[in-house]
Amino acid sequence: MNTQDIDTADWLDAALKEAGREHRAAYVADDGFTARVIGRLPAAPTLPAWRRPVIILLWLLAGAGAFVALPGAFDDAFRGAVALLVGRPLGLADIALLLALCGAAAWTSLVYAAKAN
Amino acid sequence: MSSTPVSDAQLIARAVVQDDRHAFGELVRRHQSAVRSTLRRLTGGNIAQADDLAQETFLLAYRNLKSFRQEAKFSTWLYRIAYNVFLADARKIKELPMPEDAEGEPVAVADAAAPSMSRQAALSVDLERAMRVLSEPERAAIVQCYHNDLSHEEAAQVLGCPVGTVKTHILRAKQKLKARLGAWSPQA
Repeated sequence: MNTQDIDTADWLDAALKEAGREHRAAYVADDGFTARVIGRLPAAPTLPAWRRPVIILLWLLAGAGAFVALPGAFDDAFRGAVALLVGRPLGLADIALLLALCGAAAWTSLVYAAKAN
Repeated sequence: MSSTPVSDAQLIARAVVQDDRHAFGELVRRHQSAVRSTLRRLTGGNIAQADDLAQETFLLAYRNLKSFRQEAKFSTWLYRIAYNVFLADARKIKELPMPEDAEGEPVAVADAAAPSMSRQAALSVDLERAMRVLSEPERAAIVQCYHNDLSHEEAAQVLGCPVGTVKTHILRAKQKLKARLGAWSPQA
């Protein structure tokens, strides 16, 4: 590369860099561009409002069904687990309290699910 | 009290995890100018086409946001998508506003320079016109390295080619520009 080439290359390089600086400094105003892009985004996947409470109800029904179908197994497992946790056999008052708590939790979940939708 | 600006990475996380469209909107707002002006350069100044391609770029970015690994800057990733969108569009219309039309007629200084124009402004105009003689890969390499100020490595990522190829495109582009802009040479 001779001196003339180097000079020319440097001059051209400087011109390109200057053009680049101008390009970066020139801000393209939004003018609704962002809104147009957001407007074209695919719709967010939404669940139908009835879906969650129905699923919870189905789970409750399935649980109740299983409980009815296998009363002995559930009873044994439940009493064993609680006895392990509490350290003493369950009384009628304990069972009543637990049932009340479970019922309250199920209804609270249902109400929450319905409101959340 | 000034609040700390939310980083691109935080906005991306919100957009991906919570499908937060406001966060994605902020990303678009931040980068729209750079993406649109890059596409304007690539399309030879066709503003309407560039804006359509810019919209496609951001829609594709939204769909593929989960695949962004934060290995490169978000802007570099966007430039890559924009370049791919531009290439796909160019293939579709099968005709780029190419260079050959104007080839062979050197840009004259006096041609572009109106009496009121500064030397730098006139040179910018001539340079802009001379860019049309470049092939699409050469122009893309110049746009990424000079206009977007990317390193050769970053430009190679955006253009999806080896670093050596980027350097070759730039060298050839400069040779063509030198031939077209001979009137601006200090030796002229």
